[in-house]
Amino acid sequence: MPSEALLSVRGVTKRFGGLTALYDVSFDVAPGEIFGVIGPNGAGKTTLFSCLVGAQTPTSGEIRFRGERLNGLSTNAAVRRGLVRTHQIVRPFRDMTVEENVSIGAHFGAGKRRGADARRRVADVLGRMGLSARAGALAGTLPIGDLKRLEIARALATEPACLCLDEVMGGLNPAEIGAAMTLVSEIRASGVTVLMIEHHIHAVAGVTDRVLVLNFGEKIAEGPPHDVLKDPAVVTAYIGDDEEAAS
Amino acid sequence: MRRLPLATGAALAIFTLAAPLFLERGTLNDVWNLAFAVILASAWNILGGFAGQVSLGYSVFLGIGAYTTVLLSLKGVNPFWTLPLGAVLAVLFSVLIGLPAFRLRGPYFTIATIGVGEAVRVTAASASFTGGSSGLRMPAGSFDFTINYEAMAVLAIVTVAVAAWVKRSAFGHALAAIRQDIDAAEALGVGSTRFKLAAHALSAALVALAGSLYAINFQYIAPGSVFDFRLSLSIVLMPIVGGVGTVAGPVLGAIVFSTLQIKLLAIPALRDSYLFIYGALLILVMLYEPRGLFGLARRLASRLRRRPAPPPEATRAL
Amino acid sequence: MQDIAGVLVNTVISAALYATMAYGLAVIYGVMRIINLAHAGLRMLGAYATLTLFTRFGLDPFLSLLVVGPLFFLFGVVLYRLVVHRLPRSGAAPSMESLLLLFGVWLVLQNLAYVIWTGDTQSILTSYTMKSVPILGVRVGVPSLFVFAGSVVSLVFLNVLLKATYLGKAIRAVTQNRDAALLSGVDASRISSLAFGLGTAFAGVAGGMMSSLYAFTPDFGRSFLLKAFCIIVLGGMESVTGVAAGALVLAFLENALGAWTTLPTSLQDAASFALLFVTLVAFPQGLPGLAARVRQAFR
Repeated sequence: MPSEALLSVRGVTKRFGGLTALYDVSFDVAPGEIFGVIGPNGAGKTTLFSCLVGAQTPTSGEIRFRGERLNGLSTNAAVRRGLVRTHQIVRPFRDMTVEENVSIGAHFGAGKRRGADARRRVADVLGRMGLSARAGALAGTLPIGDLKRLEIARALATEPACLCLDEVMGGLNPAEIGAAMTLVSEIRASGVTVLMIEHHIHAVAGVTDRVLVLNFGEKIAEGPPHDVLKDPAVVTAYIGDDEEAAS
Repeated sequence: MRRLPLATGAALAIFTLAAPLFLERGTLNDVWNLAFAVILASAWNILGGFAGQVSLGYSVFLGIGAYTTVLLSLKGVNPFWTLPLGAVLAVLFSVLIGLPAFRLRGPYFTIATIGVGEAVRVTAASASFTGGSSGLRMPAGSFDFTINYEAMAVLAIVTVAVAAWVKRSAFGHALAAIRQDIDAAEALGVGSTRFKLAAHALSAALVALAGSLYAINFQYIAPGSVFDFRLSLSIVLMPIVGGVGTVAGPVLGAIVFSTLQIKLLAIPALRDSYLFIYGALLILVMLYEPRGLFGLARRLASRLRRRPAPPPEATRAL
Repeated sequence: MQDIAGVLVNTVISAALYATMAYGLAVIYGVMRIINLAHAGLRMLGAYATLTLFTRFGLDPFLSLLVVGPLFFLFGVVLYRLVVHRLPRSGAAPSMESLLLLFGVWLVLQNLAYVIWTGDTQSILTSYTMKSVPILGVRVGVPSLFVFAGSVVSLVFLNVLLKATYLGKAIRAVTQNRDAALLSGVDASRISSLAFGLGTAFAGVAGGMMSSLYAFTPDFGRSFLLKAFCIIVLGGMESVTGVAAGALVLAFLENALGAWTTLPTSLQDAASFALLFVTLVAFPQGLPGLAARVRQAFR
């Protein structure tokens, strides 16, 4: 049902000089879905991500979001159309307060809110992310856990139709991963489609509806996480790289 | 606490506007120079301080304003009618330069602006319409210093007010986000090029207006005076020494700068070397207080009140 | 034909001087990711140091380079220890703070020079200043030839230093991959101060040589600073052969404009500033980046 897809990727290839980072990757993300993209190191996850959110233009192929062609559109233009990303290594505006950080998203994202309207949206997002008590603190003074939530809060404040999370599970312990999964489910429940990029398959298996597995820039499997886990190609790809994946 | 700066600003504004009633011409001239410096510093700060894009080519906009006024006045146009045109031309030039140059980041942008400034200066010096190195004189006619003074005073007040408004607006927040992390700003929907162009255009227009009034006041301009690299230097040094990225910092920097300038230029031995002190100040500011004199004043004030320092607005100023 | 020979001879001669001047910037940029705006002031100071040695001690301006070089090396090390060292270290990209700090140093040097030597235009007149010899049928000034020789000696010296000494290897290692070099036990602070000294020495020597070619004031060196930037940007910021190529391109452009167009001399300078701007914007990786792209296109 490609016509109903929120995000549609068709035959995307990306070359850097002689190196092919992505080769002929296609997939669809339906509205309201939690979709995972996984793969071992160097599989092309980051390149795919960059192509989606506008930092890079695919060499060939097409990316459509809500039916509109995204190829070559700048990052900020993609955000205003409802496709937003977070950074794996958090990038807060350190000299701004938490509230001001989030208000940037509210002002300049898809919602384009100003004044009291923006303040309501910011307060709402801060509440949902458990950051209300920190609203007036300078972002530079926050501990890393709060910074990770701030990173997501800012992205949510842009009022995305699709939120792309870049390895949010990386470096978390099992208890924190559980909390993060709950958070992702809540975000979906609020009407936002989620695309997660992760290194570890087990980090997304419990929360995603479908996953896509990349290896050496090519799609090797796609489907519900528990089916994909049993796929021999996936098991082979992860052997020696990540024994946990097969467990 | 929030009313205090507003009240101080209003008092300064009223004093400046009413000054011709009680100050003699010589002192008034000093205040004119001060207002001129405040405009240049505060306008530059919109791009250089708020958005962190340090340009060393701002004398170009001053020159555009000044030359538009003189050239049109020589054609018989009332000098004050030429002001808007100078501002528009400066805006156009700022976009022309900005579109390519804003693809560059940090110091590379700065170096490109030195290149643009020098190229314009050198070209202007050898072009015939600028009067070459001998310059151009305004047509002889009625020149009223008081009118020019009031115009400069109003422009200074408007510039500071615009800077204060920008700082608080969503536009100002976008500029602050661009200064701190341009990629993160883009990832939240901030169209950084558009906002940088807008900040560049706004400050260019204000500087061009000041340039027009400068030409009317001195009745004579030459490429060596309005496109001077030292002028571009002063425009940058005032806000940085005063406190980059704040509204009051550039004003403070302009006051310190103009006062020192008058004192230093009065000493014949220092006629050529007065910039020494600014170089030294710049080194000290960069090493010890990136928020400039204004940051230092705030730190001292909060220490006197024995309270924790107020949240810094820009710990990494640039 | 005469024209072409003239342009080529003059291109090679000015390129050698330009390269010497630009290496001072490139070494410091490579090791510390600092854009040394004080370079123009250091070059101006080199010219005045040569002048002082000439008028006070009657030392030939080219022999005095043997004094100026080591003297400026020490001055650079002191400047680094005293001022530059206190800055927070630049990351992968050069920081605005370092640029502005060295800008302040430039202003201080320039205005100290106004106090010491006044703003009067100075020049050095030796017995050979006005003499010239024919090369490939082109008359070349003797000072220009000495400058060429001095530049070649400096560049050979630099090359030997970079290739054959521990310091040189460390400088190249830090330039290419700072983190890896630090992990291999290179003392970054020591290498930085030595590299700053080296860059300063090259600035001083370039300035000393230029004092035989140009009249100068304390304001001397700004347009040459932009030319040096243009060269290292063209050269890809940190590559040794890149800088040489950048110097040749700029020198050829200037000499060609001078010989084959009727542009006034002042506008030839504007051409090099415009080249700087275009290069920065159009190929930020400089000639090496451009070459890589061309190779890729024809693959």
